[in-house]
Amino acid sequence: MEIIAGLLNGFAVALEPANLFWCFVGVLLGTVVGILPGLGPPATIAMLLPLTFNMNPAGAIIMLAGIYYGAKYGGSTTSILMNVPGESASVVTCLDGYQMARKGRAGAALGIAAIASFVAGTVGVLGLMLVAPPIAKFALSFSSPEYFALMSLGLALVVLLAGRSIVKALLAALVGLWIASVGTDLFSGTSRFTFGHMELLSGIDFVVVAIGVFALAEVLANMEAREETQLLPVPKGLKNLLPTMQDLKDCRFAFLNGSVIGFLVGALPGGGSTIASFLSYGLEKAVSPRREQFGTGVIEGVAAPEGANNSETGGALVPLLTLGIPGSGTTAILLAALVLWGFKPGPLFIPEHPALFWGLVASMYIGNVMLLILNLPLVPLFAQVLRTPVYALYPLILGVSMVGVYSVSGSMFDLALLMVFGLLGYLMRKLDYPAAPLILGLALGAGMERALRQSLMMSEGSLAILVSRPISAVMLSLAVLVLLIPMFGKLNAWRLRALEQG
Amino acid sequence: MKSRLNLIALLALLCAPLSFAQGFKPARTVDLVVHTGPGGGSDVLARAIAIMVEKEKLLPVRLQVINKPGGNGAVAAAHLAEKRGDPNTLGLFTGVWLQTPLVSAEAKITLRDLTPIARLVLEPAVIAVKADAPYKTLAEFIEAAKKNPGQLKQSGGSNTSRDNVVRQLLQKSTGARWAFISFPGGGERIAALLGGHVNIMVIEPEEAGEHIRAGNMRVLAQVSEKRLAKFPDAPTLKEAGFDIPVVPQVRGVVGPPGIPRENVEFWQDFFRRLTRTPSWQKYIEDNQFEDGYQNAADLTKFYDEFTDRMREILKDAGVKTVR
Amino acid sequence: MEDRTRNSGDLWSGVALAALGAYIVIQARQWEYLGPEGPGPGFFPLWYGVAMLGLSALLIFSNLRRRSDRGNAIEWIRVGRALSTWFALAASVALFKPLGFVVSFALLTYFIVAVMYRRPLKIAALTAVASAAGFYLVFDRALGVPLPAGFLGF
Repeated sequence: MEIIAGLLNGFAVALEPANLFWCFVGVLLGTVVGILPGLGPPATIAMLLPLTFNMNPAGAIIMLAGIYYGAKYGGSTTSILMNVPGESASVVTCLDGYQMARKGRAGAALGIAAIASFVAGTVGVLGLMLVAPPIAKFALSFSSPEYFALMSLGLALVVLLAGRSIVKALLAALVGLWIASVGTDLFSGTSRFTFGHMELLSGIDFVVVAIGVFALAEVLANMEAREETQLLPVPKGLKNLLPTMQDLKDCRFAFLNGSVIGFLVGALPGGGSTIASFLSYGLEKAVSPRREQFGTGVIEGVAAPEGANNSETGGALVPLLTLGIPGSGTTAILLAALVLWGFKPGPLFIPEHPALFWGLVASMYIGNVMLLILNLPLVPLFAQVLRTPVYALYPLILGVSMVGVYSVSGSMFDLALLMVFGLLGYLMRKLDYPAAPLILGLALGAGMERALRQSLMMSEGSLAILVSRPISAVMLSLAVLVLLIPMFGKLNAWRLRALEQG
Repeated sequence: MKSRLNLIALLALLCAPLSFAQGFKPARTVDLVVHTGPGGGSDVLARAIAIMVEKEKLLPVRLQVINKPGGNGAVAAAHLAEKRGDPNTLGLFTGVWLQTPLVSAEAKITLRDLTPIARLVLEPAVIAVKADAPYKTLAEFIEAAKKNPGQLKQSGGSNTSRDNVVRQLLQKSTGARWAFISFPGGGERIAALLGGHVNIMVIEPEEAGEHIRAGNMRVLAQVSEKRLAKFPDAPTLKEAGFDIPVVPQVRGVVGPPGIPRENVEFWQDFFRRLTRTPSWQKYIEDNQFEDGYQNAADLTKFYDEFTDRMREILKDAGVKTVR
Repeated sequence: MEDRTRNSGDLWSGVALAALGAYIVIQARQWEYLGPEGPGPGFFPLWYGVAMLGLSALLIFSNLRRRSDRGNAIEWIRVGRALSTWFALAASVALFKPLGFVVSFALLTYFIVAVMYRRPLKIAALTAVASAAGFYLVFDRALGVPLPAGFLGF
């Protein structure tokens, strides 16, 4: 089969000592970049571009790709240890990951994140290798109505993230939608909710809100109690330094879930790792036997989103390499890099440059293995960060948050926004409003509105387009079903009570 | 002897203004401010310029790229405005810098508030359809649009982008009407066309190249003054019978306000020399840009004409202009 | 499970969100709801603004009805500690421009260690200097990520 032949050729390329070296450099750099909040792969790759001029293109793309998927491994570190989401895809990991750290299971959380990233990342490469052309074609059939349905499904998951009060969760999600509207409307050029500030014309950065509402709020909340010397228990004993066999068993479905959802959503031009991780988390929670415990430190809640944001890299490379269409920010830069070196990604890229494509694919397998070997031993090391006395740790978290935000845009205005959202996050905690729905609303809001308006423009005003197309109809029905899940729960409880009384 | 002294004095006097004009040399690293993050269009061009400057040894100091994203260009413009009088800071502007102040009241700095230095390139575009579309020429598309007003669809950027400007001008001059659907990213626009969800799009020749070569897309016409080398078979708008002004997408250089004349001339000259270097020629050829060099005075005139025309077009499109 | 909501908290947040909802609706009415080419910028905000109004009204009413519950008293001392930390944080950001990140962050750390956690002043000073220096070395020097610089140049 030509796939096997291609892959063997690819390994021949990827295993050349120079390319192996560049692969290692890339994944190492990626891990470091991923650990640091704010600074992301796009900026790093852009800065390295001039240096790649004189490299051989295979080595260069292998290295840059290594940074891309390597960063996804590192992104969970600060999310789990400090509740500081490194980039938008890591936000979901904070939900259960940080709670696991608070219970002394930071090592297990970090470990499962690495393992899930490895499994899903490898599946993502498998997908790229085996089903890229049909997936690319499928992705093209996805347009605004399907995106709207997909995001409605994602937003419906609010219900699952609700916690005790659905009303408050919905309100938080609505506030998230509002924050997402701040800025210039794409279709009409109208400025919305900018309060006269030009910095708000391009909207509020997701990372600023996420770090404020999660990390800053957490620190502020912890400031209330003075006397504890070490709030975060350091994982004791080998059992808590790494995931146990039971943990791995619990995460079986999460591995599958994260791999598939991440890859599929990544392949959609316009899909992203944030949506992928939310959807994967939501699905995991929906099917898990212990779904009420999600949000308190359930290991599948870490495995699913971490897997999703890794297989998403494989998925995002599908439209890039088969069609020349970049999906996310990082693939756009990879496209620019390929163009810079004289290659033109497009439908003819793979047939004309098989060595480059297969070399890249093979290197991704190797890279994922390297990352697993690199990250697992680091887990106990990272877990020791929690040994830092809280009086030093919390200022550290504050500093990391501020530097993270500043490194994204270099804007004092964003730092001011961070303060505002930190206060908001703290108030939300005190008043029992869950933060995750707000983040979800923010992540999906802009995309949802755009998709809806695009759909209505396509159908000249008719909402029927949303249900006449099969894919979007199916997803919208799923969304409605998800919204009804708590209804089933209440009905069941009501029925049981009636039975008891009757 | 007295006459020789006089001659020397005369020569010294003549040389003085020359040396005065050549007196300005950047004393420290030059900052080139762009309004996109790393990897965005302006950022890529700026980094390419920085590489060229080093390769061709055009400056005694380094040129570094400063990213000031946000506000649709307003943040970068404001940053430049703050650097009043600083001759070592430059900005790489694009059409966005010209348009945002027209429609957003919050964006207070226009190009006129800064110091125009030079225009560098014009970006042409092509009008493309999916390969299996029933239209062989742009005229056929316009006919179809006239028969079914509002039913055909075009994918593009925001409503102030060049894509929509071309559409507005065509609609006005032909009386046809078709819908415009905005997508924030180039990838999504292309996907919408290739997936059959829209009928037509205006796209940069660079982006379209591979899809055309693979046979997925077809070019109906080009939005440029003369035919591009890589598209010898597609007529320009004028050749195709559509006499609308070619409103170009531009990139150029501005400086902070309040910089002295000699600095402007230095930079203006510098960029002229840059556009003559072989690296630059190769770059614009590879990216299918058109050389659109204009010095500061011409750029100022161009800016005035451009904004007047944009105001008219936006008004026709029903977009509120605030300046 | 009994819903132990803080009554006054719910009431006030409900009112605030209702006000926000009303503001959003008023703003949305100023923009185009349905234009010739599709929904305008006022479309989406109107709907989520209305939803916000409705849900916050629900919150307020359900709280007014449940007034008889014992409401949890707000522990102002605890909140005060959190808020004063926030003020210190905001102040340190305000000081970035004149003093630069390194100095401001050192001051913030000192405040947190000495005042919030009542550690001895020497420990506070040591932690402050070590942290700030650490940030400078790791981010500014090693990684080249620029930190806001004050008049001292760093």
